[in-house]
Amino acid sequence: MHILLYIKRFSSPLPLNNRFFLQQVATVLPIRIQGSVMEKFLENMPALVDDIRAIKDIIITNIVLIGQTPAPTFKEKRRGIVFMERMAEFGVDEVTTDGYRNPIGIIRGTSSKKPPIFIVAHLDTFFEKDIVHNYTIKENTITGPGILDNSLGVGVLLSLPIIFEKLGLTFESDIILAGVIQSIGKGNLRGVRHLLKTWPTPIRGSICIEGVELGRLNYFSDGMIRGEISCSISEDKGVLYKYTPNAILILNEVINGLMRLSLPQRPRCRVVIGKISGGANHGKIAYDATLGFEIRSDSYKMVKSIYNDIKDIVDGISNENEVGLNIKTISNLKAARLKFNHPLVKSAAAVLNSLGIKPISKSTESALSLFLSRKIPAVTLGITHGENYYTQKATMEIEPMFKGIAQIIGVLKAIDSGVCDEP
Amino acid sequence: MSHNWLDKNTFHYSDFKDLSQLVEEKQKKGLRISLCLPTLNEEKTIAKEIIILKSELMTRYPLLDEIVVIDSGSTDHTVNIAKSFGADVYDADKILPHLEKYKGKGENLWKALYITKGDIIVYIDADIKNIHHRFAYGLIGPLLLYDNIKYVKAFYDRPISIGKNKIRPTGGGRVTELVIRPLFSLFFPELTQIIQPLSGEYAGYREVLEKIPFPIGYGVETSIILDIYEKWGLDVIAQVDLDRRIHRNQDTKALGRMSFAILKTFINRQKQLGLIDTKNNLYDEIIQYNLVESRYQPEALKIVGFERPPMIEIPEYCEKFCIKN
Repeated sequence: MHILLYIKRFSSPLPLNNRFFLQQVATVLPIRIQGSVMEKFLENMPALVDDIRAIKDIIITNIVLIGQTPAPTFKEKRRGIVFMERMAEFGVDEVTTDGYRNPIGIIRGTSSKKPPIFIVAHLDTFFEKDIVHNYTIKENTITGPGILDNSLGVGVLLSLPIIFEKLGLTFESDIILAGVIQSIGKGNLRGVRHLLKTWPTPIRGSICIEGVELGRLNYFSDGMIRGEISCSISEDKGVLYKYTPNAILILNEVINGLMRLSLPQRPRCRVVIGKISGGANHGKIAYDATLGFEIRSDSYKMVKSIYNDIKDIVDGISNENEVGLNIKTISNLKAARLKFNHPLVKSAAAVLNSLGIKPISKSTESALSLFLSRKIPAVTLGITHGENYYTQKATMEIEPMFKGIAQIIGVLKAIDSGVCDEP
Repeated sequence: MSHNWLDKNTFHYSDFKDLSQLVEEKQKKGLRISLCLPTLNEEKTIAKEIIILKSELMTRYPLLDEIVVIDSGSTDHTVNIAKSFGADVYDADKILPHLEKYKGKGENLWKALYITKGDIIVYIDADIKNIHHRFAYGLIGPLLLYDNIKYVKAFYDRPISIGKNKIRPTGGGRVTELVIRPLFSLFFPELTQIIQPLSGEYAGYREVLEKIPFPIGYGVETSIILDIYEKWGLDVIAQVDLDRRIHRNQDTKALGRMSFAILKTFINRQKQLGLIDTKNNLYDEIIQYNLVESRYQPEALKIVGFERPPMIEIPEYCEKFCIKN
């Protein structure tokens, strides 16, 4: 059973929706960027799309071969091997893993003085190994579990070396293509955390790739804590209770407590109850139940404060009912951002506009925040449009993908031309 | 019985994963290679097969010279999808149109000999869910690297796709184990070394395939093996482990119909070779029973078991390929 609740204390009569989190970058950013090299490159973006489309067989093959290799979080080894084998076949200069087994391909740049540029896509998906990962290709769609999050992103990442080769593209910086492991859920971005923590040189800039949606231009991330509240009632102790507690009803009390939380309008924040499970069958009192939640705010201090409030609620209910009720953190991120007028954001918006894509920005809780919190300029881009995101019938559109890949190359060129170099 | 053949002529696809070597060998020998995909309502899998095989074995490594789809009259989007992804698509009925028309996989494979240009022809079923280019290069490898080998069969670890999108890791090959292997054991024990004689993926030299008849239906795989064995011996055949193939599970009745066609083909071959005498001709109908409202009702299906003659006996073929008989 999955329940999604939004808990809010906004005085505004408007619903809690994208009003607070969406900014249409195109309307607030001066999108023209300076520099004749980049301007000329932008003029050629539509032609670039055609060039990329011409090698669609290889790109789609990469997406399918990666996507059909299951990679649930913590079990990405097989997909990592496929990733590295394909990279090696494409003649990437160096194919290796870091100390945490993140598979990495390195394309050497023309200048040894420029720091490297990272392009990352998370390797793991939500789907377990025993789910059939066979993709179906139709005239303009590809369908299969995990394709949008994030097999498409990894397949495109894998295709970049051969796209660069076919299009004759070279870069001053080394390009680091990293398929990072242990990202989603309990993975808590461990792979990319380790990669950045141990990378020995400064990093010039980064692009994080996600399957959907084409047009997303993320350059800031909220502070976030994801947690789990679990209630466990010992069956042996059942006889000691006058009325045996029900773990689901205990969690219901927790939810009621969360609903009574007062959240400020500024800094903006929200608590999402995203997941709940428990019980054994219809006619038996539930002895175990678990609730998953996420606290999000543009102030990490506020996130921690709300977490402590929730912990107090949990401790109180635990004491009053004499049940095992525990709260634990699954993952956390600090808030970080680029300014909306940062040259990378402006350049990325210009690239998207040159392709007729309207940039839309909202907060994202992903690898982006780790780059930003280390003061490395970074953006997250989506590749195409899709539907049924988190189901086994997740479907991507093929045609918009070519623009999505062109924008990645455009933004990469912008970083390579120096938009991230100013302190 | 010696098991030498099993040791000597059994390969793993990874033995041939150096695609540059295969391309070099192909060019050195001046050979052309055609891939044929026989289809009937395969819209779910056909695009993936074409894209992956084209990407890896045409665009990246020029191992295949053409990908040809021979369709038996699909009523779904198979034909349009195959065309949109760049395959050459043919309606089986329109190939050699003056001949009587039949429906069946064997018919498509036989007509592919007329349509394709390659010296080597690779046949791959169009319903493979986990298609990978190893399915083609694994079959081509022995033909290019071993001069004595003229025909290659695939075998697999065969998980079956069952309900609710889950895989059952073992199973499959029931007709092989219950029908073919007992028959081979009785009549040609040497052939029991072929692990999966019914696998739908195989490749061979045109010079061999054009000289044998093709049953139009299910019996084609058995018939090809028996004919090549009889004409050239077991040493020209090899088998390759292609690892894993996920396919549709078929119900027992469908397997019964398949077994009927195979048995008929096999017995007819034995009669032609003078190995058995059935006194009477075989019947053409398989009769199966359904329980309908507490009563068993028979359901008869006619399976004629017609065979196409060796393609080399067709005048249009000889003309097209400049063959003088």
